[in-house]
Amino acid sequence: MSPDDIQSIFFQECEEGLASAETALLAIKAGEHDGETINTIFRAVHSIKGGAGAFGFHPLQSFTHLFETLLDKVRDGELSLDPPLVELLMGAFDVLADHVTAIRGEGEQPDDAVMKRALRDALSAAPASAPGLASQELGLSFDIDAMMAELTVRSDIPAQDWRVTFMPAAGDLAHGGEPLLLLRELAALGGQVVSADPDRVPTLDAFDPDAAYMGWTLRLPATAERATIEEVFDFVSDPGSVTIERTQFDDAMRSAREVILQSRPVAPLATPAAEPPVAQAPLAAKQPKVAVGATIRVDLDKLDRLVDLVGELVITQSMLSQRLASNGLAAVEELADLDQLTRELQDSAMAIRAQPVKSVFSRVPRIVRELEASTGKRVQIEVEGEATELDKTVIERIGEPLTHLVRNCVDHGIELPAQRLAKGKPAEGLLRLSAEHKGSRIVISVSDDGAGIDRERVLAIATDRGIVAADARLSDEEIEQLIFAPGFSTAREVSNISGRGVGMDVVRQNVQALGGRITIQSRPGEGSSFALALPLTLAIVDGMVVSVGDQTYIIPLTHIVESLRPDRDQVQSTGLGNRVLNVRGAFLPVLGIGDQLGLTGAVSEPSEAVLIVVETESAGSAILMVDAIIDQRQVVIKSLETHYQQVEGVAGATILGDGRVALILDVEGLVDLRAPVPLRCAS
Amino acid sequence: MPKRILAVDDSLSMRMLLRASLTSAGYDVAEAEDGRAALEWLENNEPTLVITDINMPRLDGFGLIAELRAQERFRDMPILVLTTESSPEKKARARDAGATGWIVKPFDPEKLTVAVRRVMH
Repeated sequence: MSPDDIQSIFFQECEEGLASAETALLAIKAGEHDGETINTIFRAVHSIKGGAGAFGFHPLQSFTHLFETLLDKVRDGELSLDPPLVELLMGAFDVLADHVTAIRGEGEQPDDAVMKRALRDALSAAPASAPGLASQELGLSFDIDAMMAELTVRSDIPAQDWRVTFMPAAGDLAHGGEPLLLLRELAALGGQVVSADPDRVPTLDAFDPDAAYMGWTLRLPATAERATIEEVFDFVSDPGSVTIERTQFDDAMRSAREVILQSRPVAPLATPAAEPPVAQAPLAAKQPKVAVGATIRVDLDKLDRLVDLVGELVITQSMLSQRLASNGLAAVEELADLDQLTRELQDSAMAIRAQPVKSVFSRVPRIVRELEASTGKRVQIEVEGEATELDKTVIERIGEPLTHLVRNCVDHGIELPAQRLAKGKPAEGLLRLSAEHKGSRIVISVSDDGAGIDRERVLAIATDRGIVAADARLSDEEIEQLIFAPGFSTAREVSNISGRGVGMDVVRQNVQALGGRITIQSRPGEGSSFALALPLTLAIVDGMVVSVGDQTYIIPLTHIVESLRPDRDQVQSTGLGNRVLNVRGAFLPVLGIGDQLGLTGAVSEPSEAVLIVVETESAGSAILMVDAIIDQRQVVIKSLETHYQQVEGVAGATILGDGRVALILDVEGLVDLRAPVPLRCAS
Repeated sequence: MPKRILAVDDSLSMRMLLRASLTSAGYDVAEAEDGRAALEWLENNEPTLVITDINMPRLDGFGLIAELRAQERFRDMPILVLTTESSPEKKARARDAGATGWIVKPFDPEKLTVAVRRVMH
């Protein structure tokens, strides 16, 4: 474990600390807090301060020191948590977060002068205002190098030197204290015991083995610094038991009474309690070494490698069983076990990569707070299911879309307090984040109780921008979908909130790139809800194995609605080789995968083929025509882009049990390849 | 058999630093992430020294020391507290709680070993 590794762990801890401090701050703001809440913030700031000092981030250390001192006063009840103080804590938190960003090298060092002054002002309002602020900060910059340099000096002792007397208080042997160790430390500084003073030692019947009776006088070389000697007595309970003074030993005394202490304790007489039985701990030493922590941190690359290898194992296992089956050995019992184990191994490996969505959700409060400040709106955040876990890669990549949705809800959805009150709603808008498992997907939703989507305006803009024809008749859902159209933006002017150069179309692209889908539900005057349905992992996919011509393809199950074998007369031609099938009243285009991908030898007559009804995010429903369905299974996704290049209509590749490579179809892209888009069809 | 030190701190990086410094000084190091975890570990183990942070969830450093001092077998075990404060009041508080001594954070590895040797045979 290198210093850099420890530092990167420290960065992670900073982020975790910030997240829990933020949650606590919000609870305080909402008036839902107890003593532990402020303690949580204190602990987080305290830990960051400790690490900041250890890793030499001095501006952060100095800032956290002030922040911590203030929190300490709040904790002790010397300062009361009134709204201005809560605001100050929030502000200080933001500066702290900026500091952390800065030490990670991801941002500028914040200018914290104003905030520091505000913190000091608040501190001076406390009854017993911290007198030792400056000295404490000085205390942190102890010069260890100078001290260590001193340790090496112990040669000729000049006439002028230190005389140290040490008469331990009776209680100095309590709690594991051991004065002899101090003598040893002084010896290392070149000290010599000049005299031992047994005057206080009582008679045996009055002797308390737990009390200290002996006293010593020592001589130390003048080269030792007073501070260094004082440091040795740092743990001594009564400063009065130690005297340190410059003195002149006479030569006679020097020659007569020199006793050099080596690293071994002296005078058993003086140390009746010097070796408490506990300290020897022979039993403890035989115990196996156990770390108490229940978690470990692993480099993500190693995990990715593990997941990769497990993927390979799954493929190999599947090839093996296929090979055995073709040799009539399918019923081998061990094979079933192996199959089961491989599956479990794969699930476990995936579970290791899973992370709670909390890490993404926890960014939201800060974003909302910024928005509140810049828009004048007031927003309360409600979070549900933040412990729901999904793959780390997915977590990493939903941050941006989620942020955008949140901005969108606050910016366009939630109304200004006055408007809300006029509509009979509470002044404070509600933003709700939730995450839950639904089958093999996780659904994350962002909803607000704002104005809802203004359909008339959406339609007007879409018509204006030529996204839909002027005479198009669209359903409410279709109109709402328009906000995802490229080039669509409803902001009257480009606000710097939602209008950060990305529209909802980019949000949808991002979600689709993750194999996810986004849906909207909106009610005018009541609010909108955006739901992201995401795969639990990007490494495997449930797919239907189909054959087209001499090729094998995988269609991700998430897109598949049903499969059909139509009669000849059910499929109708619309000219130019386009065909549609009436599926319960809706006419869906029939797409031959062979035609789409330029393949020959595929079945071209729908009545002889298998039709698979798929639904897509951007292009509505359609029917894919394949020759036959072979199997349904989980496949390990291999990126085509890393090994070859991106191919339209293809999302990736996998290796099948028989060793052949099969392409995984990008249903979204495939359906989108054909024109016209369904909305215009529908009109 | 090297002497064993139990390092108690809720910050993993701080435990790492303690481990790195103490291991290179020749000690065996066990870790606990808070006072409660430390007590659990101490039920079956007896280290030569405990170094503990003060501010921790579940059971803080003062609470841990109080629990340990109440047990006969830990009555005289050296305990060092990790503190970011070097003020006399804070030190007095640590001593009153039953600590043998303290280490002011941030610590230099050598300063740490010096403090450890000051309380450990």
